[in-house]
Amino acid sequence: MGSRLKTIPQGTPALRPVLQLTPRQFSLSQSSCVLPLLILLLVASRAEANAGAKIYQQLCASCHGMSGEGVQDRYDGPLFGDESLAELTELIAETMPKDHADLCVGDEASAVASYIFEEFYSYDARIRKGLVSRPRVELSRLTVAQFRNSVADLVAHFTAVPRDRRPPGFVPRSRRGADTRRDGGLFGTYFQSELMNKRDRLALMRLDSRIDFDFDDGSPDREIDPEAFSITWYGSIDVRQTGYYDFRITSPNGIRLYLNTDSHNPRGRLRDDDSVTMRSRLIDGWVSSGEQRTLSGRVFLLGGRSYPLRLEYFKYQDPTASILLEWKPPHGVWSTMDKQSLRSKPAPRTFVVDTPFPPDDHSLGYERGSAVSTEWQTAIGNAALATADEIISRLPNLTDVERDSEQAADAYGKFANKLASLAFRRPLTDQERQLFGEQLFQDASPELAVRRAVLLILTSPHFLYTDLTPAEQPPTQHTIAARLAFVLWDSLPDKKLREAADSGQLESADQIAEQAQRMVKDPRTRAKLRSFFEHWLELEHRDLAKDQQLYPEFDEAVIADLRTSLELFVERVVWGKSSDYRELLQADYLLLSKRLQQLYGQGKAKRHKDDRSDHPFERVSYTKQSRSGILTHPYLLSAFAYHNNTSPIHRGVFLTRNIVGRSLKPPPVAVAFENSDFSPELTMREKVTQLTRDQACKSCHDVINPLGFALENYDAVGRWRSEENDKPIDSTTDYTSAEGTTVTISSPRDIAAFAVESSAAQRAFVRQIFQHLAKQDPSGYGAETVDQLRDVFVADEFHIRKLLAHVASRVATHSLTEE
Amino acid sequence: MTFIARDRRRFLRELGVGAAALPFLAGLRSVHGDEKTNLSLPKRLIVVFSPNGTLPSEFWPQHFGDEHQLVLGSMLESLRPFSDQMLMLKGVNNLIRGDGDGHMRGMSCLLTATELNPGNIQGGSDSPAGWASGISIDQEIKNFFQSRDESRTRFGSLEFGVAVPNRADPWTRMCYAGDDQPVAPIDDPQQMFEKPYGDAKSRQQLASVLDLVHDDLRRVSTKLSSEDRSLIEQHMQHVRQLELDIEAAANQEELTHPEPEIDPHIELVNDNTPEISRMQIDLLVSALANDMARVASLQFMRSVGQARMRWLEIKEGHHSLSHEPDKNADAQAKLKRINSWFAGEIAYLAQRLADTPEPGGLGGNMLDNTQIVWVNELGKGNSHTLNNIPMLLIGGGAGFKTGRALDFDGVPHNRLWLALANGLGHQELTTFGKAEHCADGPLSLV
Repeated sequence: MGSRLKTIPQGTPALRPVLQLTPRQFSLSQSSCVLPLLILLLVASRAEANAGAKIYQQLCASCHGMSGEGVQDRYDGPLFGDESLAELTELIAETMPKDHADLCVGDEASAVASYIFEEFYSYDARIRKGLVSRPRVELSRLTVAQFRNSVADLVAHFTAVPRDRRPPGFVPRSRRGADTRRDGGLFGTYFQSELMNKRDRLALMRLDSRIDFDFDDGSPDREIDPEAFSITWYGSIDVRQTGYYDFRITSPNGIRLYLNTDSHNPRGRLRDDDSVTMRSRLIDGWVSSGEQRTLSGRVFLLGGRSYPLRLEYFKYQDPTASILLEWKPPHGVWSTMDKQSLRSKPAPRTFVVDTPFPPDDHSLGYERGSAVSTEWQTAIGNAALATADEIISRLPNLTDVERDSEQAADAYGKFANKLASLAFRRPLTDQERQLFGEQLFQDASPELAVRRAVLLILTSPHFLYTDLTPAEQPPTQHTIAARLAFVLWDSLPDKKLREAADSGQLESADQIAEQAQRMVKDPRTRAKLRSFFEHWLELEHRDLAKDQQLYPEFDEAVIADLRTSLELFVERVVWGKSSDYRELLQADYLLLSKRLQQLYGQGKAKRHKDDRSDHPFERVSYTKQSRSGILTHPYLLSAFAYHNNTSPIHRGVFLTRNIVGRSLKPPPVAVAFENSDFSPELTMREKVTQLTRDQACKSCHDVINPLGFALENYDAVGRWRSEENDKPIDSTTDYTSAEGTTVTISSPRDIAAFAVESSAAQRAFVRQIFQHLAKQDPSGYGAETVDQLRDVFVADEFHIRKLLAHVASRVATHSLTEE
Repeated sequence: MTFIARDRRRFLRELGVGAAALPFLAGLRSVHGDEKTNLSLPKRLIVVFSPNGTLPSEFWPQHFGDEHQLVLGSMLESLRPFSDQMLMLKGVNNLIRGDGDGHMRGMSCLLTATELNPGNIQGGSDSPAGWASGISIDQEIKNFFQSRDESRTRFGSLEFGVAVPNRADPWTRMCYAGDDQPVAPIDDPQQMFEKPYGDAKSRQQLASVLDLVHDDLRRVSTKLSSEDRSLIEQHMQHVRQLELDIEAAANQEELTHPEPEIDPHIELVNDNTPEISRMQIDLLVSALANDMARVASLQFMRSVGQARMRWLEIKEGHHSLSHEPDKNADAQAKLKRINSWFAGEIAYLAQRLADTPEPGGLGGNMLDNTQIVWVNELGKGNSHTLNNIPMLLIGGGAGFKTGRALDFDGVPHNRLWLALANGLGHQELTTFGKAEHCADGPLSLV
């Protein structure tokens, strides 16, 4: 024991428990070192335990309470934490009792530490005493994302894929079928117009990768008269993120934009005096006075899906002809839509619930459906009403049976039954089938019966709770299918999953794992993983604005590009072949647009040959010492910095929590960094060292600061720098890990090298992925869950996609067998 | 299943707001007549449009001037009960020229009294054109009402349509919020119903399924562990709370005027036009009675509208018929039936207003304080003239002297809109639309 203690840094300050993991994290992440200590404890004499109790009552209870519950105005909070027994012993010996640390040292400190540890300090002790509840899988309602995605897929089940208007071979196919990378643009059809008839003669068809044309007073094609022509673009857009999307069109001519509407224009003609068959135009600028103008529209879309788009355009005698289609995705800036998001392939309408919801509980660091409220209940009601409106308005489309048809009652009854069965993720009971298929229809019009069915289904507990399997009971195969779908997609099982469950093909672990692996490839998994990274990298609500005097080039367009750059990087790693977590931390390249290359491409950048040259973001490699994956991505370096300087504390906190996987308590005293408090000659490192030298700060900042200092070579916008205030940057520090080993680090690569080898960091990553996917604490699935998954993760060469499938299988098979 | 109503009508009534409103209505001022702080009589405006010109020989009376009692011809028979409250104006011309064919200018310059912007929409003749370049008189008056505390309402104005095709161009729009800003009429009664009453109806619909949800939650909870059950129990409480909220809201306040019954699923097809028209008029009157707006418009079809009025046993499209020469007796007879039908719809509107006492116990009926203005984009269909627009005013809103017909023998219609605005209290308006047409001031109609 004594030799272990030597690795603990000297000068341990008072109130050491400041640095700690949350209770649940503790039992798992520290178990490897706790277990041997517990064994030691067992052989320790009973006398020591009694001695410990006695010492505690004499020296500690006046401040910490008889059972560690705390004493008002002394030590307010209950006494618990995640220090190991050895660390706790050392802490007591060095600092306790407060102001009389010499009263309790050596064997006494050891005895009292054991007592505290066993009685109420450790996580196990707290469970034993009922201070925290034993981890379990908690009943959860759908999160907002789960609700929206489930409803989207529920309605999509009945929505037909629209006819493909493109001629055969329009998009070159690769050997593996349709190649989306080649389908970068919209399907443009160009017509000669004749007075009111805008589609008099088809002159040209082509793939347009951007809608950014200036025909001036000319024409798109020599077959077309410049005075009167029209163009209709068809296709779809790929959307990665959930949120509000703005679209705008700049043109002096006639325009109409349809987004995410059912497409049907049976006559295919286009005349000024036609009634427009589709009602919801996102932008309508059909009438124009020939002057350039910009019209815009806004729509809420779910990430990980494609949406149909149609753009109608015509010129009639206007002096000039031009059109520009731009969009502004969430967190983005206005930019011309291009091959990254435009597809010529048709897509069906996806119904998106855009009524507001109260945010999900996020108090444990991940969104989960742990609470209900009247606001939530009201939001569910409003969303159900909106869905009912959608379904009723498209009922003939969704069922292929007209409202006034004689078959309506029968067909709509079947529809209601199918809707309920899909939403409940299982076959209906006889009683339910009777209710939705018949009872509702008895005294109401078929349409009205469907409306009531939709309201009932979407407010029913069978839809709103992810899993109603009673504790300890094995899941049915339909439940397994639903668990897989929620974990990987935040949505309902698809056809393949349903069929597998229906036919008993979700029985063995292999069958389940196989489905999970298939499902990982779906765009919905991408969308879900994307939101994980948003959370893990703390991308939400970031203000990157910088001092424009110091960083004039760092404008909104750069910030938006940086975010795209980071997202593309993460996607490239995760969805690349090796899907290697280590690459996330250690990659020596960035993906940079032209604009970013001007800022970050200095010196050591060189383009990588294997990148497609027309991609707006190119791979730029750096020498080993200057970039290390997300640790040095300029977006994060800028996000965790002041507007006019670096912030080693912000960077250090981020690295501590998210990269090396340690938890931090909130600061005991609020101290704001005021640059003017310091002598201007000081470097940032010197200022921060001064600021945090107080005993109350030190325990956490001994961990935070070294990590932050190692990034001092990157300025407030993430560019490389070698000096500050004419002083060379000193980025070398000693970092002491949670396990107590001390390593010297001088660059982000050192931190990354440490993190990829650190089991605590690996566990933290696995844990966070698990929480985000399952919306549950992993220990509910068994105390060893994270350790087991970590072992598999390491054995899989840190393959992130495989980890997703393992997590999904783990959740899906919970209680399936006696484990 | 207690929640299933016996028949569709009754069901609608039950799921509708009943005679009750929800808090969002109650919270707004000017919704309830008795909450008025200012007890002066409100003034209202309703513009009704029908297309393709009138049949002048049937429309205009034989005698004009103060000395003659107004005698309506047989085409306008259904309006005879209102002849004492009526003012017919001949010789009022739409003198706006410039881009656009006669129909486009007839429609989009009718209420704006100003020129169309140059544009890309090609008509049957003349140069192509765009939207009107100014505000329409109904929106001008709405803005005036909304700018004053005593006349401000929740919506200000409501634009109703009947069988207006789903497209936006100078033939389909007469109301403009300003230069290049057409205002679309809503021709779906259900959508119109949703606007003022929809929220309340939806909540009651929801309330009707909550009982079942509650039962389901209870059944589910019995199978769960005690820890998980507490979440379901909370959920049940919130469901109950929502039910109580909805119920309390329903009992809280009553509308001055019950909302009309609307078949929410009526198809917007040509043959349902008569039904749709009555629904829209009912909704219009009820919205005004509940003081949700003081300006409304009701647009039948559109300029060049080709409505086939099979309910009048007419197979040909309206616009084609209007092009037939005067000597085509069959076409004339059909046009008479068509315009007679429009007159009947306006008579229904006027009657509904006359039957509704002025809310808030202020005395009289709503027609006494409402100015109906029936307009058309042409004087006559087969000549495409913009002269002698058939202007027929009913009601007391603008304080004009009624029970007579006047012939102004060719004055710009800008001057009529000035008189209308002044009569409705908007006294500061001294020019409207194309200023050169306003030199002689408002028409004298008092």
